[in-house]
Amino acid sequence: MINLKNVEIGYKSSLLNLEQIHIKRGEIFAVIGENGAGKSTLLKTLTGQIHPIQGQIIIEEKNFQLLNRKEKAKLVSFVGSKFDGIPYLKVLDYLTLGRTPHTDLYGRLTPQDKKTVDHIIELLHIESFIERYTLELSDGERQLVAIGRALVQNTPVICLDEPTAFLDYGNRKKLIRLLSEVAKKEQKCILFSSHDIDLCIDEKIPVLLINTNTKKLEQYNSISKEEIIQKGFPSISY
Amino acid sequence: MTQQYRNTLFFLILFLLLITGAVLHLFAGQIEISFHDFYQAIFHFDPTNTNHIIAVEFRFTRLIMAILAGSALSIAGMLMQTLFNNPLAGPYVLGINSGSSLLVALTLMTGVSFFQHDLSIILSALLGALIFGFLILSFSFFVKNNISLLLIGLMLGSFTGAIVTLLQTFSNAQNLKVFTMWTLGTIQQTEMQQIPLILIFYFIGILSCIFLIKPLNSLVLGENASLLLGINLKSLRISTIAITAVLTGLITAFCGPIAFVGLAVPNITRIVFKTQNHGLLLFANLFFGALFLIFCDIIIQYLEPVVSIPINAFTSLIGAPLVILILLKKLK
Repeated sequence: MINLKNVEIGYKSSLLNLEQIHIKRGEIFAVIGENGAGKSTLLKTLTGQIHPIQGQIIIEEKNFQLLNRKEKAKLVSFVGSKFDGIPYLKVLDYLTLGRTPHTDLYGRLTPQDKKTVDHIIELLHIESFIERYTLELSDGERQLVAIGRALVQNTPVICLDEPTAFLDYGNRKKLIRLLSEVAKKEQKCILFSSHDIDLCIDEKIPVLLINTNTKKLEQYNSISKEEIIQKGFPSISY
Repeated sequence: MTQQYRNTLFFLILFLLLITGAVLHLFAGQIEISFHDFYQAIFHFDPTNTNHIIAVEFRFTRLIMAILAGSALSIAGMLMQTLFNNPLAGPYVLGINSGSSLLVALTLMTGVSFFQHDLSIILSALLGALIFGFLILSFSFFVKNNISLLLIGLMLGSFTGAIVTLLQTFSNAQNLKVFTMWTLGTIQQTEMQQIPLILIFYFIGILSCIFLIKPLNSLVLGENASLLLGINLKSLRISTIAITAVLTGLITAFCGPIAFVGLAVPNITRIVFKTQNHGLLLFANLFFGALFLIFCDIIIQYLEPVVSIPINAFTSLIGAPLVILILLKKLK
């Protein structure tokens, strides 16, 4: 669960105001807005990479800013827009690295850790390529595996920065459906930034829209394409 | 499972090669020492028997130093390569060796000896490695980017290199010769009584690596990704550089700068074992590094009647083509 009240985010000056945002477990939101409007800043703030200028971020009833790195890593995981693969790193080993915040000083895996990894492999139906090397995968497979790694981290909140940017149409649709399904099935809060407005509307994904005029983040459980364009991309609305 | 099987097999082969190499190494050299002499030297040492003295003071010490130097430098190289996410990184590149060289040069050639002692070279080298290790450490507090830190290390190396060259031009012939001999590197100057001290530092360095396995494994994903997995990057950097300084400084102090082992061996092990698990890589580098230096030293000893090759030159002679060969094969 994410609770934001009057949070100002940005690097030095305030870029975006999060007046009243409330996201429950099992919900997924697409973060939509113009380039430079603050999508990445929002995701970076929620993953603890930058501090908010003002206000408190409450995740699972905890004041997120006051937590140390390890505690943050147990609450929020992050997936970038592209995972390039790493030489000599197998898919299974990559997925297992998601357990890092949960393992002991030596990184030893408990049976519980292994069970979590197996569960995610089953959930994403990636049994067939866990023994392959991450460099050998296609872009679509690699993005799936990157999401798997975040799921293995088993955090209540998952943030994804333009996860569909480098995928073809079919894989984009599949990925968005998968995220939506996972949010409900695994009871996660999922936030992903995206420029795939049509896809998100087709798949009935709720939207966090950055209103260009007011510089505020607005939460919609359903919204029309016209409204998105009018509020988020006013330069092309007529 | 197949990979596990393969890796076990590789370790078995490495271990057998290491035993073979160690035995070959003991019997290499121009003076013939029999198996019986070695046995007697261990269990019934006779200080008046020349062969016993050669066995203990020269053969065993040299073998032990080859094992320690090879493994320590390889592990230091592995640590640097993962920390800087760069297969070209090594204790050399960081400038840790240059620290040793600078202090040794100052001690030998200015007459301003830091330590008026027989062990002045050793102490200077150790101190130099530690000073430069901590210098790099303090830079790492200000420089966020690892590549920048690597470049600072390179600059430090060039800078101290220039100072050393200056010192050499003003130095007298005798001191210049001693310094040049040191830079050539040798694993046969160490005495048996120094081994316990070396072993203490060696084990401190190697055993501390166990705490680095987990953070280094996640660092493979990149600095940002490992931060988001809850890794404390700052303490990881400090401890990795400190351990590298101890391992490199120790070996450079007693053997002089030995090039290429720290660069070539970790690259080879990653390719052979095809893994990014640093627990496995740690052991692989330990075995492979020892093996590499043992075999280099065996060849040097067999060539000795014909030509005397310094270990530093020889490791580069073998290491550089080996790295090129590997890169070519990898690119195919």
